[in-house]
Amino acid sequence: MARDRQDSDAGAGARDAGGAMGETAPPLHLTLWPHRSMRRHNLRWVMMGAGGGMMIPVVPLIGSKAIYVIGPFVLAYLGLLYGMMALTYRSGRVRETVSLWADRLRVERVDPDGTVKIWEANPCWVRLELLQTRRVEDYLVLSSAGRSIELGAFLTPQERRDLAERLQLGLADAKSGRLGQNA
Amino acid sequence: MAEATAHLEHEDHRSFFTRWLCSTNHKDIGILYLITAGLAGLISVLFTGYMRLELMEPGVQYMLTPDGAPDGHLWNVMITGHGVLMMFFVVIPALFGGFGNYFMPLQLGAPDMAFPRLNNLSYWLYVVGTIFALMSVFVGEGVGVGWVMYAPLSTEGSPDISMDFLIFAIHVSGASSILGAINIIATFLNMRAPGMTMYKVPLFAWSIYITAWLIVLSLPVLAGAITMLLTDRHFGTDFFNAAQGGDPVLYQHIFWFFGHPEVYLLILPSFGIISQVVSTFSRKPIFGYLGMVWAMASIGILGFVVWAHHMYTSGLTLNAQMYFMLATMTIAVPTGIKVFSWIATMWGGSISFRTPMLWAIGYIFLFTFGGVTGIMLSQAGADRVYHDTYFVVAHFHYIMSLGAVYGIFCGIYFWFPKMTGREIPELAGKVHFWTMFIGSNLTFFPQHFVGLAGMPRRYMDYSVEFAYWNYWSSIGAFIAIASFLFFIGLVIYALVAGKRAEANPWNEHADTLEWTLPSPPPEHTFETLPDFRGQPAAH
Repeated sequence: MARDRQDSDAGAGARDAGGAMGETAPPLHLTLWPHRSMRRHNLRWVMMGAGGGMMIPVVPLIGSKAIYVIGPFVLAYLGLLYGMMALTYRSGRVRETVSLWADRLRVERVDPDGTVKIWEANPCWVRLELLQTRRVEDYLVLSSAGRSIELGAFLTPQERRDLAERLQLGLADAKSGRLGQNA
Repeated sequence: MAEATAHLEHEDHRSFFTRWLCSTNHKDIGILYLITAGLAGLISVLFTGYMRLELMEPGVQYMLTPDGAPDGHLWNVMITGHGVLMMFFVVIPALFGGFGNYFMPLQLGAPDMAFPRLNNLSYWLYVVGTIFALMSVFVGEGVGVGWVMYAPLSTEGSPDISMDFLIFAIHVSGASSILGAINIIATFLNMRAPGMTMYKVPLFAWSIYITAWLIVLSLPVLAGAITMLLTDRHFGTDFFNAAQGGDPVLYQHIFWFFGHPEVYLLILPSFGIISQVVSTFSRKPIFGYLGMVWAMASIGILGFVVWAHHMYTSGLTLNAQMYFMLATMTIAVPTGIKVFSWIATMWGGSISFRTPMLWAIGYIFLFTFGGVTGIMLSQAGADRVYHDTYFVVAHFHYIMSLGAVYGIFCGIYFWFPKMTGREIPELAGKVHFWTMFIGSNLTFFPQHFVGLAGMPRRYMDYSVEFAYWNYWSSIGAFIAIASFLFFIGLVIYALVAGKRAEANPWNEHADTLEWTLPSPPPEHTFETLPDFRGQPAAH
């Protein structure tokens, strides 16, 4: 489930927290991805079950002319099933990465088609809000320099609250110069 | 990331055209399926009214050619139209397309189907298929080969274009079904909310998921079979032409490999509905959740290995008959598990006889009755006597007309407040139930008698010895049709002037996710995923 969706390696770059930007590992690093209820490797069992089931009517027809008509339908439907299942995983490839240094916050989003969007701000000026909207509970918004972005829109409300708490602490540490020291 | 403002400012400003004709929202598409299936059902029921009017008395009174001779082809067209509409365009679209689309994603905690645009395409393909099916009745001479389309009657025996319309109708509706089924499978497997493990999934969602698998596994065979019919008719192939080395019995095998799972396609979703309704109105969790899940799966699997019990009289070997007989009887085991689990759920419960519960109890009683006659028909020896008599007609109508259709009504009464935000008046709902119960039983119960007495099916006339029970059967059909028309009026009344429904108008045992939403649910549901981690398994 969503247990690993906030994958943090906070502290890994603590000693570089105040160092040069960009090349050093961030003291707080979070990766977020959308939930998929079946792991990709289980798709093979689904396809094996479907293929096996579809063979029941096909095997007795081996040697008859009818297989030339039914066979292509079986293969087409099997291919359609695989293709559509694979597409659901493709749409799940979206990733949001939050990297926090003492003087920089960077949010990077990689869309399923590979498009990368980057938002950067100074942690001292970043405002973090959990908004209660009509449609979305605990909608996590980061604002700075007149621009607001959503973060973790695909997470559950509880996960967003946990994420907000974690980020809030990180931002506070960044402002006070303690980032990386508590890890 | 997206700009936060874009997300916050989005509101529902869709026009009527955009919402209903271009909809990609699973709830709207579910409603569209229900309405379209209802219209097709009304037409199909009117066909039966015409047929029962003809059968009310011996002799041919109504289905006459302009010169006054009995019009047997018209009878065949009515039979075919009724069968095709009910099997392909009414029951499955209502249960699977309608309730499945609307409630399965809600029960899983998914924001929509995995492929919303494909969902829209599935619906419109279904509409096109329905139009083709209706054209097969009204274009040319009308198709009169029965819903099974046996060759060579459907090949050399039906040169009229109406037969081609029927083949295209089934092809198009098959494409609709396969896209819908794969969409359901992808949604079920990959879009369950965090913590919604397989054994926390409500039984209705399970029933839709298993039905989707039956569609995926059986439809390629149907598609192949009707493609062969088409090529035999127009492209000079001889798959089913015995004179050219083809085999008409091969068509029966291929068709029934699809056809028997088709029966379970019709009935499985109603298992899920009944389970939830019985649990809600008995104020108890469903008895034997795991057994119920695996019984449904077993019924689905066994449905693929019993097809030739429809063909005992086609010249099967003795060994083949013995196998299909035993395999067919085996289905009674998982079916029994379901029936006993429903009864066990009610046992000791605080039963409230609200309208959905009446439909559920009626369903259990009548489905069990139809199941018992099914065991009788599974005997290859006895089937020699019963085959193609009204006993078979009574049997499958108890399963499908009184079973699956009661499941549809049960679902409508149960979920109508959720879907529309309005309640159907309780007393009127009960009047509908009792008139339908009396009418449909009066229609089909006497058909056991005339069937055992030897009255053959698919004829527009009969011997005078069968007149008494046929008269009462027709009276029952008219009561049932009147009850259905009353129901249509009731739905319109409830939509216009029904009492406003609460989010959960039943009780705390209506505990699946859809009851946590307002009635009707907003356009976007589960914009953020609900979280089931840490919650106990099974409902």
